[in-house]
Formats: sequence, structure tokens, C-alpha cells
Amino acid sequence: MRLNKMTERVITTDLSAARDLIREIIREVEAAGYDKDDCFAIRLATEEALINAIKHGNKFDRSRKIRVSTDIDSQRVEITIADEGEGFDPASVPDPTADENLEKPCGRGIMLMRAYMDEVIYNDKGNEVRMIRNRFSGLPKIRKTSANILERKDD
Amino acid sequence: MTNPCNNNDFSISEHQKDNAVIVSIVGSVTTDKADELRERLEQIAAKQPPIIVLDISKMDFICSAGLGAIIIGYLKCRHHKGQVRIASPSDKIRELLETTRLDKLLDVFDTVEDALKG
Repeated sequence: MRLNKMTERVITTDLSAARDLIREIIREVEAAGYDKDDCFAIRLATEEALINAIKHGNKFDRSRKIRVSTDIDSQRVEITIADEGEGFDPASVPDPTADENLEKPCGRGIMLMRAYMDEVIYNDKGNEVRMIRNRFSGLPKIRKTSANILERKDD
Repeated sequence: MTNPCNNNDFSISEHQKDNAVIVSIVGSVTTDKADELRERLEQIAAKQPPIIVLDISKMDFICSAGLGAIIIGYLKCRHHKGQVRIASPSDKIRELLETTRLDKLLDVFDTVEDALKG
């Protein structure tokens, strides 16, 4: 039997609302039988995406909303997070693992989302991200090469 | 019992051991806790200890903002030629440090004792 739980939620631009939502999502992921690695990965990616929506998308404006939809079945988890901001070009974000960026305190969120989820897809405007993780797909999704370049394991 | 996959508990404590300050970070370093961690590390670094050991054996989660807080502590410590050493990460947190390549910036040790020896 294919169990499938789709949920749509709207939260205010607020850290505590984000924290409560992450807890709810992880409870649902656990209830669907996902293991600790999956839960860790989904928790991390969801936290990073929600914080980006709050901070960079909605710029802490509490009058703006964040839409979050989750689609959880026995084989994969899909989470879509949309803010009401101007959007951005994710390709313009510097690689935080480059030697010259290692000491920067910020800028690792998108890289972590990509590292811990199987797919991370932005819409054209850059204010909505869809993240997919397949069950039991391990940690993390990227590896270091001898040239210190991070590549996806499945490339 | 607390579920480590969904734990939002967080605490920091510190104690002196010879010339080092051992900082124990317990629980989940989420974005809303990262400022508290940064402030605490900055306060400790301001006292200019030669070595700060971050005992993260009981840390079960850290986000990018938490990593940023540790980097700020590291940079502040470096001003006075002090060192920040990471001790006893779980497999998941060690993988996170390797994935972000922060293991190239911060020395990572299996135990607090190893970190104190350097």
C-alpha cells in the first residue's frame, strides 16, 4: 500500500513559527518510517530553506507569509518552501567550501540543502525551492574530490 | 525520552582545564540558538585563553548559523593567536564538518583529552 500524506501550511515570517513547523514535519517523516539519517538531513535542509525564506526572502517582514507544502510517502519526502520576496539567482551564491570562503561565517545554507537532499530545485524567480529526499539515501549527498572540489556522489 | 531527531534542547557550559577552556555544547544548535552560542564564544575568546576546546559529544544537530557562530569564535580567538579545537563529534556532525570543509579550518579530535594534547 502506498501511503501518501500531502500537507500545505502557511506560516508568518517568524523564527519560532519556523521551529514549530520543522518539528511537525520531522514528526511526520518519522511516523512514515524514515531513519535517523533521513530525519537529520530533512531537518537540516528544511531549517536552512526556511531561514533563507525568513531572512533573505521576506527580510524578517512579519506581514509577509511563507507557504510550505510537504508530500511524504513511504519512499520519498518532498518539501516546497515559497516566500514573498524578490527572489534571487542561486547560481550567484559563492561556493562556501572554496578555500577563500572557509572563514566566512555565512553562506552555507544552500550548499547544505544540496548536500543533504537528492534534489534542490528553485523556480525561475528564486523565491520558491522544492527539495526531494529519497528514503535511506545516506549522508551526505556530495563528496570531496582530490582537487578539493565538492561533487555530487551520484554524478 | 528526548528524540535526537527532533530535539530543540540546547545548553552551553564551560570549565577551565590547565591553559584551556573546555566548552560543552549540548543538544541542537538551531538558528534561534546560534546567537547565544556566538555571544558565549566571543565572551570566552575575549579572555584570551590559549586554547578553547569545543566538546560537542552531546551535540545532535547544528545548522549553518551555528557553524557560523563557531567560525566567529575561531576568528576572535585567532586575534590573540589562540586556538579553537573541536572534540568528540558524532559521526553525523563530523560528516557535516567534512562536507562544509570546516575540518580544514578547525582541528577535529576524537576526544577532549586528544584535543587538549593537540
